[in-house]
This record gives sequence, C-alpha cells and structure tokens, in this order.
Amino acid sequence: MVREFKLPDVGEGVSEGEIVQWLVEEGDTVEEDQPVAEVETDKAVVEVPAPVDGTVRQIRADEGEMVPVGNVIITFDVEGEPVEETTDLEAADAAEADGADAEPAGDEGTETAGEAAETPEGRVFAAPSARRLARELGVDIAEVDGSGPSGRISEHDVRAAADSGGSEPETATAEASESASAAEASAESAGAASGGSTAGGAPQQVESADREKTLAAPATRRLADEEGVDLNAVPATEKRDGEPFVTPEAVREYAQAQQEAQKADTEALGLREEPAEREERTPYRGIRKSIGDQMERSKYSAPHITHHDSVEVTNLVEIRERLKGRAEERGIQLTYMPLIMKAVTAALKDFPMVNSSLDEENEEIVEKNYYNIGVAAATDAGLMVPVVDDVDHKGLLQIASEMNELVQKARDRSIAREEMQGGTFTVTNVGGIGGEYATPIINYPEAGILALGAIEERPVVEDGEVVARHTLPLSLSVDHRLVDGADAARFTNRVKEYLKDPELLLLE
Amino acid sequence: MVVGDIATGTDVLVIGAGPGGYTAAIRAGQLDLDVTLVEKNAYGGTCLNHGCIPSKAMITAADVAHEAGNAEEMGIHADPAVDMAQMVEWKDSVVDQLTGGVEKLNKANGVNLIEGQAEFADENSVRVGHSGEGQGSESVEFEHAIIATGSRPIEIPGFSFDDEPVLDSRQALALDSVPERLVVIGAGYIGMELSTVFAKLGTDVTVIEMLDSVLPAYESDLTRPVKKRAEELGIDFHFGRTATGWEETDDGIRVSTEAMEEEVAAEADGGAAETFDADNVLVAVGRQPVTDTLNLEAAGIETNDNGFIETDDRARTEKDHIFAVGDVAGEPMLAHKGSKEGEVAAEVIAGEPAALDYQAVPAAVFTDPEIATVGLTEEEAEADGFDPVVGEFPFRASGRALTTGDSEGFVRVVADEESGFILGAQIAGPEASELVAELTLAVEMGATLEDVAATIHTHPTLAEAVMEACENALGQAIHTLNR
Repeated sequence: MVREFKLPDVGEGVSEGEIVQWLVEEGDTVEEDQPVAEVETDKAVVEVPAPVDGTVRQIRADEGEMVPVGNVIITFDVEGEPVEETTDLEAADAAEADGADAEPAGDEGTETAGEAAETPEGRVFAAPSARRLARELGVDIAEVDGSGPSGRISEHDVRAAADSGGSEPETATAEASESASAAEASAESAGAASGGSTAGGAPQQVESADREKTLAAPATRRLADEEGVDLNAVPATEKRDGEPFVTPEAVREYAQAQQEAQKADTEALGLREEPAEREERTPYRGIRKSIGDQMERSKYSAPHITHHDSVEVTNLVEIRERLKGRAEERGIQLTYMPLIMKAVTAALKDFPMVNSSLDEENEEIVEKNYYNIGVAAATDAGLMVPVVDDVDHKGLLQIASEMNELVQKARDRSIAREEMQGGTFTVTNVGGIGGEYATPIINYPEAGILALGAIEERPVVEDGEVVARHTLPLSLSVDHRLVDGADAARFTNRVKEYLKDPELLLLE
Repeated sequence: MVVGDIATGTDVLVIGAGPGGYTAAIRAGQLDLDVTLVEKNAYGGTCLNHGCIPSKAMITAADVAHEAGNAEEMGIHADPAVDMAQMVEWKDSVVDQLTGGVEKLNKANGVNLIEGQAEFADENSVRVGHSGEGQGSESVEFEHAIIATGSRPIEIPGFSFDDEPVLDSRQALALDSVPERLVVIGAGYIGMELSTVFAKLGTDVTVIEMLDSVLPAYESDLTRPVKKRAEELGIDFHFGRTATGWEETDDGIRVSTEAMEEEVAAEADGGAAETFDADNVLVAVGRQPVTDTLNLEAAGIETNDNGFIETDDRARTEKDHIFAVGDVAGEPMLAHKGSKEGEVAAEVIAGEPAALDYQAVPAAVFTDPEIATVGLTEEEAEADGFDPVVGEFPFRASGRALTTGDSEGFVRVVADEESGFILGAQIAGPEASELVAELTLAVEMGATLEDVAATIHTHPTLAEAVMEACENALGQAIHTLNR
C-alpha cells in the first residue's frame, strides 16, 4: 500500500515550511526515521524523517517551495506490502497535467477539487443520473470528489471513483499475490469492481457468464441480491422468449461455487480468514460530526493551555442550601451553576481578555462588553452548549430558570440554533458525572472554558490540621494566543475569591 | 359470502390506481414484471377524479369567466353568464379523457386490472372484494405488493360529509349550481383554491381558519398577495376560529364557530361564539391516509402515530417485499411525490438501482396568484449549515407579466453563497406552478446561480424572472436594483 506523508507540524505555531533540500530521490529505498528532506520554518531548519521502511514513490513538492503543514510532500511504497497502481491523488494529478492549461507547480497545486467547497452534512451536489450510476456501481457518492463547478459530481467522477476503488478488501486480496504482475493485478481489480467473477489467476475457476440482460423471477433476483451474486454472471440453464433465464438453483450453485473459489484463493495465499465483525463501522455524521468538527477546529486553531486549581466552597454550599428552598417556592430548581456563572462573570469583567475572541480574518482582538455564558450539557445525541445571555444583568433565579429551560430544550432537541450561539465564555460541569480535573476544549472562538469537578468534602489543611471541607476542583483552558498562563492563573484566583466568599458578588 | 373464489398469482400486486399506484404498475409492466393493479372505483385515483385535475379545470373556467367580466381596462366590456352544470360537464369530460388514458396505458403495458377492494389475507396474498350484490371475491397471491391507497378528506366533529349541505372538496367540484353563500372551513391550499373559484363565480365566500393566516404552511410574503387578491374578490376571512357545528335555517344553513383566543373574541362582532349563514359549508381541513380497509395486521405491517405506513429510501415497508407509495406513505401528500415513489418501488422490485434520493419535492398552490416552492427557504438553508444568499425579482418589473395584466408577486431563489449551488426557490405570481420547474431542475442537478443566470431565457416571458432572480443574487440583475 501507499503511505502518504504530510508535512508535519515541526514546531510550535508553525503553519508552513520551505523544502530546502530533498535528501532522497524517487525509487530510493529508505528506512524508518531516515531523514528524507530538510525543511526550513520561520524558527529553524529541521530534518524530516521517513515514517516507514520502504521505497520513495513520488516526491510531491519542489525544492524551494513553501508547503503548508498537513500537505502531502512525499509518498512511500511500504516495504512488504503489495504495490498499488495509482492512487487517487496521482490520478487527479495526471488528469490535471493532461489539461491544456496545467496549473504551474507550487501554485496551490495541492488543493483537490473535493475540498473546494465545504458542503453541509448529507447533501451531495450531483445530477440524478450521476447519483443513480453511483448506486449501480456501488460507490458511496458522498465520498466522490467532484470535478465540476464548486465540486459538483459528474458521471465521469463516479466512474473514476469506481475504477480506483482499489481499497475493496477482495481486490486487495487478489492483488496480494506476489507473482501477479502489476498489469494483471489492475485488470483483476477492474473485473472485481464491475461485479464480475473473482480473481482470474486463482487456483479454482468458476464458470461465469457476462450478459447484458437476464430474465429471472423477482424471488430469484432477491436471492441473487442476498447472495451477493450478479445475475448477469450466473450461467443460464434455460431460455425464455429467446432470452437467457436464470433459476434460483442456478443462483445458489453459482454463489456456492464462488464462495468455495474465494475460500480456496484465501487459503492458497496463506491468509488468515478474518473472524466476522471484529469492528463495526457507522457513518460519522450528524451531531456527532458537528461536535467533532467544532472540537477539531478549536483544538487546531487555538493553542490550549489548561490551569488547574481548587477552591474551598463551604460558604457557597451554605448559601445555596439557604436559597434553594426560596427558589423552590417560586418553582425554580437552583443548582450551583447559576452562582458559579455569576462568579465567573464578575471575574470576566476584571479580565476582559478572557471574555474576548480572535477575529483571525481581520487580525483583530474582539473584547466583548457583554457576558453570554454557555453551559455545556450532555444529551443523548451528544454535547450541546446552550447559552444564557447577559448574565451580568440577570438575577440568580432568572439565570437558573433560563438555564434549566435551555438545557431541557437541548436534551429533547427542541433547542434553536440561535440559543446555542453568541456565547462569550463556557462553563462545563464535569463533576456531575464524576471526577476532579479535566482539560476542556474551548468552545471556539471563545477564549476560555471552565470545567467544574464535583463539589465534595476533601481533605484540606487548615492551621496545620487536616480537616474535611467542601472543595470544588477547577480546570480553566484558555486560548494562549489571547491569554497568557499568568493571566489564566490570576483569573482563576479571582473566580476562587468569589466562590470562597460569594457575598462579594453583592458588591458587583 | 364467497362466490367463485379464484386464486391467481402475480409478481407485483399494486393496490390503488392513483398517481402512485398506476405509475408503479406501468413501470413494473415496462420492466417485464407480471403486474396486477387493483382499484376499487376509478382509475386515476383522487388526483385525476376528484382532486388536482378537476379543481384545475374549474379554476381555469372560473378565471375565464372572471377575467372576461373584469377587463374594462383593456377595453373589453362583457357580462359572462355561468352555467354551472355545463361547466361541471366539461370538467368531467376532461377527467374522463385522462382516466381513460390511464386505463389504456396500463393495458398497453400488460398490467392486469382488477376492480375491487383489496385486503391482506397474509404476508403473500390479498382478498379482493368486488362491489355489488353477489359479486364475490377472489384471492391474489403476490411476490411483491405496492400499497398505494392514498388519502381521504378529514371529517371534523359536527360536519358529516353524508349531510347534503356539508361538502368535501370532491363534492364541491361536482355541484350543479353556484351556491350564493359558501362557508369554507380551512384556509389551506384546498380551501383557498376552492374559495377563489367560487368567489370568481359570484359566490359570497366566508373562510374560517383556526390559525392566524391564509396558507399557514408558507412564508408570509408569499401568501400576502393571495390574501390581498382574495379580499378584493370579496372573500371574508375569520382567523383564530374553529367551526363547531351547523343547523338548518329557513333559507339555508347557519354555521357556528368559536374563537380560539380571547383577543379574537374581543374583536369579533359576535364575541367568542359567532355564526355565519350560508347555503353550503365546505370542510377542507386536511387529508388522512387510507389504511383501514387493508387489514394491514395480516401482512404484519403497522402504521405510525400519524396513520402513515413507514417506508425506507427504496419505498419498502418493514416487510421487504411490500412497498408503500404516495399519500399513504407519508407527507408531503402530493401526487408527483407519489408517482416518483411508485416508479422507484417498481424499479427496486425489478432489481434496478433505483432509490428515493431526490433533493427536493416542488409544491404548487393554484390560488390567485399561484404560489410554488421547491427546496430550502433562506431560514432552512441557514439551519442546515449553509451560508445562504438570496435573489429576488418582482413581476412588476417583468414586461411579460405586465402584458398579461397580472404582475403581482415575485421570484426568489436561495443559494449557497460560497459555492453558488441553488438550494431552493419560492415564487408567488402568474404561472408560479410552471416557473418552479426550472428551479427544481436546478436544485436537483446541483446547478449554480451562474448556470441559470448565464442561460439565455426567451424574451418576453415570465421565465426571465427566474434568470433575473439568480442574477440578483449575484448582484448582477439588469431589470431590478441589486442589493
């Protein structure tokens, strides 16, 4: 198989590097960790090591070229694994080169068509004819790179994806035969992809047909479907109206013969048969994917640092205990969260940087004079963050009732998009489930997030004695582009002051 | 009573010969399957016999009468006389021509037709009961079945369609005289289409709607011109009210209503309870799927909470060999959605790689002016994660619209700003139902704003408005100011 090697992140905050010199050539044999290139970043010149034992297949960047981190710069054929004919990218490159107006090398030549436009989940832009062809060829159209305007997928793109479907397990098995020449392997893979018979050079041959049209009863078609057999490949034993007619028995016979041949192939190659369902695959989409995308964006855009501390909250526990009953009289359930949100807001006022965000496009820091606090809520569908607006202008009960309502809406998925937007800082209650400290990921583009551990009695040293006190573990992650470690610590200290003596909030 | 119970077998049994069922039967026939189509009374189903087609015939006839009598501005002075019985006869002839055609097409494609009502006996057979004394029943065994039994109008308490003054849409389309006064319950698309027909034919129409607007399912800027035109035609609207019952009076009937909210009651002359005198009352509050005649339990199929049969993207029910298409398979209850499902079901049975993977189902309301929509609204596009851009073109800037004397409304397209892909469109105005076809193709093909904007459109036509709306979204419209 081919291993693509991307320019790694070679130093803190480095987003691109210049290829100073290639230390290998295409076709060279390399060992793992052997330097293959010298790359200069704005901090240093570093050597980039080979990730595997193998041979250099293709060098994708020229000397002197600036390459963004994450772009493929070189590919390797991994030692001991069969050689593939052409990868998708190479095919795309070749197609590009064929064009009359080939793009000059180095001019964003790495951007593939599929990445041109980001399309929301579940939506594919392709003509109905292309979608139908994809179903016919067994191609997942969502995975096809479109070559049309804005990445629209054409029938041609679908066929190209079907032809390059070399990652199909059966095909890989067929290709594993070392004696098979590359040309044969590719011919086999084409045969397998079009639903024909199995490996040609296999020890056992299955007689199979290749018709355009086959008559069969619907039940027979269903049987063929279940057995994974192409009706047009089943030898026809009868004719009806002059057309080949396939019976259910013929389908069963053919399916069995095929399975035996496959098994024989596998045994001949000395390959272990995989036990069924060692892994289960489900599509990565929906809320799971949007959470993932958001986390990825945050973690990859904002360099996180996390500051841990804990605060003794005896007073907070008492105050909440006193207020709880009053709140209940008004039909509102008062948790610690509104008190903590108030304390956080008061501290944010003293540390505006923690309530800011970075406008990357305009290279400006946006300090916000409003305090919209997000509350992370675990729901059946995944993590959601409803936002309580203008916490500084609201009383505890109002915050409590708004928050309870929003969290409930998030749980039953009736929450509106707007109700999860516009936050300036987020609080997440990890302790509700258990545990003390966390390394929360910032709700990008906010500058900080505070994770709460469980409020529990823990040993505390007071006047030289170890005593049991209610404490609250705090974990604050901040975007280091905006907030330095010292400020993160100072901000946390301020939050602690308010939580230790909640009366101070009266002064706010 | 079983007289001559004959068992026959078939590859594909289709129950119901409406747009979903007959399309499935014809396509299955084209694919060389042995097909049997069971219909209990009229080929073509609700759409051809009692819905889309007859209502459009009546709308056209009412428009001719109304326009002829209201074209003084163009120098035409006329006072058309309407012979309702003859109008209905003409409408029936249109229906007969179409339903006859459907029957012929089925036969020509080798579909076996059985008249009667089918109910499941078990997972692989139905009994078809024939109507009429001594007609008996027969059993049909099938490899695959396609349920296409459609829907029927919802009855509301106090208004039985069996009572003569109470009409459902089907009865309203078959009156032999124009009622002087008509109360219409429901301002959805059926209520609004028929209110407009009767108002144009001279009826005093009163519309009672539970919600607070006409066509509550559509955006308010689309429905505003419809309400305005309806009021010009003399239609009297009462929103926030429900009809509770009716009684006979000396010269007709009296429909009683009740306000849903106190504010409505305070504003109304009659307070919370208000009555309306009329000759007939038309109930058009929606439609419900027909499954109660099928004995679905015998086939092991359940309906969901809304009474629909759940299906997957191959139109299959929970039983792999039984399919459901059209109104009975869920919203939107539109003939063209049912037809597509019928085609897909037949193709899936034949082993073709078909699936219900359409991007959008267009919808049209044949009010005056017409409303048509496809795909996403701006709000929906945003909710789906697009960054939408919108382009509009008003018909008052369309030369062709002005020459028809009808320039109310606009075309709006919604597209993804970055990629330019057209995601949806909303149209209110003349021939909106036709204009939406181009934009539906655009949505389905993944066409961009530029694709449509750069396509030459015939001048002078209403279709130019579609092109200009796309240009407007690109900031390049010629005949309207760009935002």
